[in-house]
Amino acid sequence: MNASNNMRLGPFEVFLPPEMVSPRLRPCGEPDFPGRLFVVEGIDGSGKSTQLSLLHKWLEFKGYGVVFSQWNSSELVKDTTKLGKKKKMLTPATFSLIHATDFADRIERNILPLLKAGAVVLCDRYIYTAFARDVARGMDRHWVRDLYTFAAKPAVAFYFRVPLETAIGRLVTARDGFKFYEAGLDIGLSDDPTESFRLFQGRIVDEYERMIPEFGLTVIDATLPVEVQQAQVRQIVQTHLDRARNLRVRP
Amino acid sequence: MRQTYGKLLPGMKLSDLAGKLLVVEGTDCAGRTTQINMLRPWLEEQGHAVLDTGMTRSPLAGDGIRRAKEGNNLGRVTQSLFYATDFVDRLENEVIPALRAGFIVLTDRYIYSLMARAIVRGMDPTWIRGIYSTALIPDAVFYLRLDVEQLIPRVIFSRGFDYWESGMDVFPGQDMYESFRSYQAALLAEFDRLSVEFNFETLDASADARVVFAQLQAKVQRVLDGDSRREYLRENGNFSRQYLHKVFEYAAATTMRRTTDQAVAQARQSNGPDRHWALQPAAAPFAAQTTRSFLEHK
Repeated sequence: MNASNNMRLGPFEVFLPPEMVSPRLRPCGEPDFPGRLFVVEGIDGSGKSTQLSLLHKWLEFKGYGVVFSQWNSSELVKDTTKLGKKKKMLTPATFSLIHATDFADRIERNILPLLKAGAVVLCDRYIYTAFARDVARGMDRHWVRDLYTFAAKPAVAFYFRVPLETAIGRLVTARDGFKFYEAGLDIGLSDDPTESFRLFQGRIVDEYERMIPEFGLTVIDATLPVEVQQAQVRQIVQTHLDRARNLRVRP
Repeated sequence: MRQTYGKLLPGMKLSDLAGKLLVVEGTDCAGRTTQINMLRPWLEEQGHAVLDTGMTRSPLAGDGIRRAKEGNNLGRVTQSLFYATDFVDRLENEVIPALRAGFIVLTDRYIYSLMARAIVRGMDPTWIRGIYSTALIPDAVFYLRLDVEQLIPRVIFSRGFDYWESGMDVFPGQDMYESFRSYQAALLAEFDRLSVEFNFETLDASADARVVFAQLQAKVQRVLDGDSRREYLRENGNFSRQYLHKVFEYAAATTMRRTTDQAVAQARQSNGPDRHWALQPAAAPFAAQTTRSFLEHK
């Protein structure tokens, strides 16, 4: 028995349940990397991916060693997620855990080693997506946050804020129909996919808004012209890269 | 009422889980499968409906984990979370519905193996406990304990050393035998620690399988006969200092959120009216005070 798990109460020694044991080191608590991590967040149709790809091209043009990582793209885990979504097997809890598994694989094999090596890493969606979606599905807010403590802290997390109706308008014209989990049909908000999507994304927006002060997200007004947003993003990124000393240069 | 280790999954209702959740834990080759294969027909013979389940048997993540383990690139955080996905899928879709239907659920390994493996791989114990805080507290955990020395011949003469069972991802650079020893010893140490914290019922698994089974039968029977907690207190019931210690330890280790008051009340009940106070008059006010400060601390 580890001595730190016990508490003395008068003459008695009491075994403490785990939640009373003081937290030890986090799994991957590397505080400072030579590399820099930038992530974009926002609901579907907020234009964040467009902005990130513009940023990517600009950084490459400037000669930085840039690597891009997308949400839900781990080779090890992808098939399982796909199976769960296709057969509608995922509950809020397993939806949360399988996405965390996917993210862990990318963090362990991709993002962390690259940051340690001094690369600029760009992520389309990051842990804040999981926080927003999982909590919107009813998972415990603290539980989800504790789940992702192995993540690296980004230099800047951009949140592309857009009114729900604008985002939905963009999506309805861009594709036909919403997918089952994307529209939150699994939690039964409404039988109509478009209505369910609206309600579900509304919850997600509420979660994002809550996270802005909690995690210091950098808000970009996603209703502005693409060029204006990009200029803001580049300016902020530039100040962070200027301060970084040991970045790799593309060969 | 049944409880979890602290957190509820969305939509999880604990009120009508009438069945019993029995866990068989132990290191690799400790004979868990053999025991479960004997327990199941024995329970069914008595008229109980039985569900048995175990690691990587979930329809969602089982195949994914097996595929991932074929390669050499499954990281430790990923591994822990993949297993957690498998566990929660079975918890929600097999274990809870079966308990609701009044089944006896026999599970080959539970969160403890998963925690031990993760902790041995350097994961933060608080982190991994947090993930599994949504797990149901079982009715009993039977821990088949085997020393590394006793384990080795079993492994050699059954299926041989396996990459993951030897913890080759934890101790790279050693050969399989050395790695197996280091890894299993670390796991065992962690298991022993968990066995106190989570109140395992330990069985010596080095004995003949039939001997172990007879012991297991007796323990399972006791769980089925009545409230295992009351049983525990009756067995250890003597309101001395040592006993008070047991009450606290018990309240902390098994139910986590059940109040110590209840545990004390239950102990009094099972011990007959006030006999124990008479034994040690000075203990009574002290016990009440300690209980209060213990609860405030929580």
